Amino acid sequence: MSAISILPERCTGCQSCEMVCSLSHEGSCSSSLSRIRMKKWDEISVFMPVVCQHCEKPPCMTICPTGARTRSPETNAVVTDEKRCVGCKSCLYACPYNAPVLHPNTKRTMTCDLCNGQPLCTQVCTTRAISYSPEGDLSMERKKAFGQLFLHSIKSR
Amino acid sequence: MIKGWKGKRLRIDLSLQKAWSEDIPAADLRQWLGGRGLNASFFSQNFQSPISPSSPENPIAFAVGPLTGSLAPCSGWTSIASFSPLFDLPSYAFTRMAGHFGVPLKGAGYDQLILQGKADRPVYLWIDNGEVKFEKAASLWGKETTETTVAIQEEKGDRNMEVLCIGPAGEKQLPFANVIHRLSWTGDHLGLGYLFGVKQLKAIAIRGKKPVTLHDPQRFLNLCLTLKERIQKDQRMQRVKEEGTFSLFGRDDGMMQKNGKRWLPSDPVKQWATSLRTHLSGQEGCFSCPAHCGGNIQYQEGTFGGIHLEKAWHLGPNIRVYNGEWTLKLHRLCLAQGLDPFLTGSLLSHVMEGAKNGLLPDQGPQQPYHIWDQGEKAFVILRQILDGKGNGFPLSTHSPSQNEDLDFLADILPFCMIVVNRLNLMTASNMIDLIYAATGYALSKEDLRDIVWNIRKMESRLQNKGIYLNDESSLPDLGEGQISEILRKEKRINESIIHRITS
Repeated sequence: MSAISILPERCTGCQSCEMVCSLSHEGSCSSSLSRIRMKKWDEISVFMPVVCQHCEKPPCMTICPTGARTRSPETNAVVTDEKRCVGCKSCLYACPYNAPVLHPNTKRTMTCDLCNGQPLCTQVCTTRAISYSPEGDLSMERKKAFGQLFLHSIKSR
Repeated sequence: MIKGWKGKRLRIDLSLQKAWSEDIPAADLRQWLGGRGLNASFFSQNFQSPISPSSPENPIAFAVGPLTGSLAPCSGWTSIASFSPLFDLPSYAFTRMAGHFGVPLKGAGYDQLILQGKADRPVYLWIDNGEVKFEKAASLWGKETTETTVAIQEEKGDRNMEVLCIGPAGEKQLPFANVIHRLSWTGDHLGLGYLFGVKQLKAIAIRGKKPVTLHDPQRFLNLCLTLKERIQKDQRMQRVKEEGTFSLFGRDDGMMQKNGKRWLPSDPVKQWATSLRTHLSGQEGCFSCPAHCGGNIQYQEGTFGGIHLEKAWHLGPNIRVYNGEWTLKLHRLCLAQGLDPFLTGSLLSHVMEGAKNGLLPDQGPQQPYHIWDQGEKAFVILRQILDGKGNGFPLSTHSPSQNEDLDFLADILPFCMIVVNRLNLMTASNMIDLIYAATGYALSKEDLRDIVWNIRKMESRLQNKGIYLNDESSLPDLGEGQISEILRKEKRINESIIHRITS
């Protein structure tokens, strides 16, 4: 199992992840060209990056009518075969994270491809809101975070 | 096709409710490089002498640089200029605003935005990827900044767009009113809230997703990754990341120095800082910034962002408020009402000192003698001012701008002055490399010096000061070791400005 782990409480909304993603994949900088998207709620200072979680049983793969969503054997990432994708948006609706987006120019689905196993967004995220675990450390990171939260809620009672 | 820049200026006339775009020649972009120069150049070409800040013709100019909206670290700042209401005589003034506003402006396809005219009823601007609409703001008039921001985002169905708005203070045209975006970042020292209020402009809502194209994307990516790593690994930056700008408190490189001498915080000041720190919860960052120096505050009704040491200081020990909670309340009131925290602090200090010396005018805010707590007293006085009892209180100063001789290295692009000037983590050479990779323009340090020199000549002319630099050699060398000198000058000037305002 490999995936990008998100801890929204650490995100500061700087959008560096979006910029490095669009720059490395498209050669220009824009949040509309990024595979990772930051969502924000200004009034409570909450920011949350949203990115493909490369699920174990991906609904996008199941629903794709042309078989364009496939799992890469090298990185274990769920990626789009642009030749097969017809831009029907089925995967956009099927994804529980709302992670896939349409490329503004090609109108094909684009999602995180894990940058060949070294995601750049995790490198530029200085608060470690985004981290990558190729061999399942992800669950440990999340367990720790949840454990801290649980401990805090018990102590505050 | 121009790389890095967009080559367009968006002109908006609020009186006629018209918007149009103009080309900015590539030669001009190279000559002025970034936002501060573009703004000064616009004013220089269009105004022979300063005009009244309250006149409809008075423009408000927002401009960005070639690295805005890219991965370049700390490049999310926006240059702003206008004829300011804060001075006895109308004077050209400029400032820079941290945050995210410049990014969607560039994404909408513009390097510069010029607002002129005066709406006949309250409006807000909706700039959506280059398309401009004038929306009615009658229902927003009177609302605080949080309500305004959320209402506009909900109306347009996009919580990710940026909103720059004024609060009730701006609507009442208080000279020290301010604009606020993301409910945190402010364009200080310019009286922007007053200028928006005069134009009956409640807010600018902006969404821009057009990509910033680059001359050499791979080189640019490598440079940015190297710089981000360097900034991230710096020890001082680690402290800034943990405590925001509060980590600079009481240090040599902090801002708490008096008359150039090192100043050690007294016990009440230490307690003030400690009580503030207990409310810090999480960080907040400008666009593409690895520092995240803004601190979120967890207090009473919830979480809110945007506190920095400088702002807190002006609403804390600077007005003898040593209770951190009152500082937070004052800061929260400033953000909600759309007030400049620096000028508010200076004004409160003036009122409180003036009351002691019997200098307050009869129609001004009155000292609440029945209140002993200094923080509560400040809060009550500020409320009096906001309720109209202090409108017109003299706040003007003879100083044309707080930026006259400082941090232009960060300012001309614009960039984050904390990273560039205060912590010395990005140098002129780094910027030159980034500009080349972004635009293909091979700039030399001498070119950079010339640009700075020309911008300052223009600004001096606009400020009616004449050319005050007789000798070009008096410009600080933009070499890598000289940035600390700029920093020292900045401190001295900031101190003298505060001194002038408070006295």
